[in-house]
Amino acid sequence: MKTDHKLMSLFKTGPGRSIFDVAVIAAGFLVLLPILGINRTTDFMIFCVFVLGFNLLYGFMGRLSFGHMLYLGTGAYAITLFSEHVSQNPLLAVLAGILAGALIGVILGPIIVRTTGACFALINLAFDQVGYFLVLVAFSKYTGGEDGMSAYFSKMGFLDFGQKPVMFGFALFCLLLTFYVLKKFTSSPYGVLIKSIKENETRVKFLGYNTFTYKWITFIISTSIAAFAGALSILNYGYVTPSFIDPSRAVEVIFAALIGGSGSLYGAIIGGVLYMAISNYLASYISRWEMFLGIALLICVFRFRSGIWGFVADKLKLRAAA
Amino acid sequence: MINTIAYGLTIGGILYIISIGLSLTFGTMRIVNFAHGLIYAIGAYFVVTLLPVARDNFILGAVLAVLAVVPISYIIERFVVRKLYGVSIDYAIIATYAVVLIGVDVIKWIWGASPIPLSDPVGMDVAFLGITLPLYRLIIIALAVVIFIALSIFFKKTMVGKIVVASLEDKDAVRSLGINVDKYFAYIFIIGSCLAALGGVLYAPITSVHPYMGSMVLLISFAVVLVGGLGNIKGTFVAAFALGMVMSVTGRLWGPAAETMVFVVMGIVLIFKPIEV
Repeated sequence: MKTDHKLMSLFKTGPGRSIFDVAVIAAGFLVLLPILGINRTTDFMIFCVFVLGFNLLYGFMGRLSFGHMLYLGTGAYAITLFSEHVSQNPLLAVLAGILAGALIGVILGPIIVRTTGACFALINLAFDQVGYFLVLVAFSKYTGGEDGMSAYFSKMGFLDFGQKPVMFGFALFCLLLTFYVLKKFTSSPYGVLIKSIKENETRVKFLGYNTFTYKWITFIISTSIAAFAGALSILNYGYVTPSFIDPSRAVEVIFAALIGGSGSLYGAIIGGVLYMAISNYLASYISRWEMFLGIALLICVFRFRSGIWGFVADKLKLRAAA
Repeated sequence: MINTIAYGLTIGGILYIISIGLSLTFGTMRIVNFAHGLIYAIGAYFVVTLLPVARDNFILGAVLAVLAVVPISYIIERFVVRKLYGVSIDYAIIATYAVVLIGVDVIKWIWGASPIPLSDPVGMDVAFLGITLPLYRLIIIALAVVIFIALSIFFKKTMVGKIVVASLEDKDAVRSLGINVDKYFAYIFIIGSCLAALGGVLYAPITSVHPYMGSMVLLISFAVVLVGGLGNIKGTFVAAFALGMVMSVTGRLWGPAAETMVFVVMGIVLIFKPIEV
């Protein structure tokens, strides 16, 4: 009984909880590794980083962005252009990608975060459309237009990202790092505050908080993480195309966040893996997989709003109560 | 120059016909209806299919196509949109987007994914101020104005129209008078969908018919609705023609930028006039 209690307290809070979470996720992906193969698992993990970034904005702050591909694409193009013109150091290039994502968040934030609901979703979509146009047509001289362009990175000691196991390890490290940082962030008072903004922004303002600043900072963090995911994808593929910024792909990350359970970090990761599994495997078995995706989305919205993680968490809570 | 203006007016006319339905659903039900673009595409596909049935009579084919959309829009309203009243607006976006995914796949299933060309149904040109314009485009502009006048009369004179205008102002007050608001919203949804289908029918001969034709038009229509104001019947009319002109002028100066410029204008408008939804 006593050990049981200790175990439960470990699950609840404290540094033990964070270490436990990180270990569980690492173990989960190591289990997936032999099943999916190393290339797919790396892909899955990078997508999960993107979902985590999106989920911070949607799940925690309640702002649905319908153009989050813009920020992924910003990171992807920033790392490519950095490696082309400045330095081929992979770590510096990834950092440049993240900074580009932060920069676009700083610039667009004041315009975007003032809006809510549908307006927020559509203004993101509009900016994404503009970004897509800039990459595809206006700056095609620098971005390679529709054909895209290659990115080359130099080796750094044992960090040779052309080698699949190294890339896998690095992606896993990045995912765990993102998870850990977001975990700390969302369980801090700041995290409580952005969740309160989701519930009722007027009351948060009433308590004397300047919600604009908090929303702006959250937006910047979200765009930076999305750009991080974009930069990692390019590090993995070595090639960038306009599909990284294509607004019509925005639904992928929304679906992943929704099916996993928005508003929870575990949910984001489960949703990311599940969406990638559906789009990778189902497409080869069922030719009408878009229809399947649509029906699954409808079921999520009408019957299963808390997602898979929300469902599991409820069951666990019930058991803990009993 | 006159050609550019005429082209802008044509685009504006079609944009108005499509956007007004979107604006009304947005304004009354607070629902962002992504399925609107799907209905637009379905209208175009129906006219392609029904033209042989109508013995190549375009007017008859268009009327049949618009009527054929009624049951489809009813199904979408009854089983998806009606369940989303008063729910968080995000779910409405996601659910109607899911309907689009399903619908586009059904279109690809039935008609195939390759574009279908459609010829100009009138095929006559009019000489006007020293330039020649296809008569068909002039008909579209005239039709948009007729629909605007008809809708204005509808909202001013009929009972259904008055109830809808009142609900745009204050939905709960109308409900407290014992009026079943949801029923009237369903009418508005179906009328809006029919107009979207009409837009698809009219635009089909100018471009080609393909499964994803609705998505870009839908985004531009959203821009029209946001610039014109949610549920603002006159504002939508003005915004549609203004953005149509923006598209045609930009298109003349730098072709590929035409659609992007609309979003730039929308962004600027939203900076100065953010909309609380």
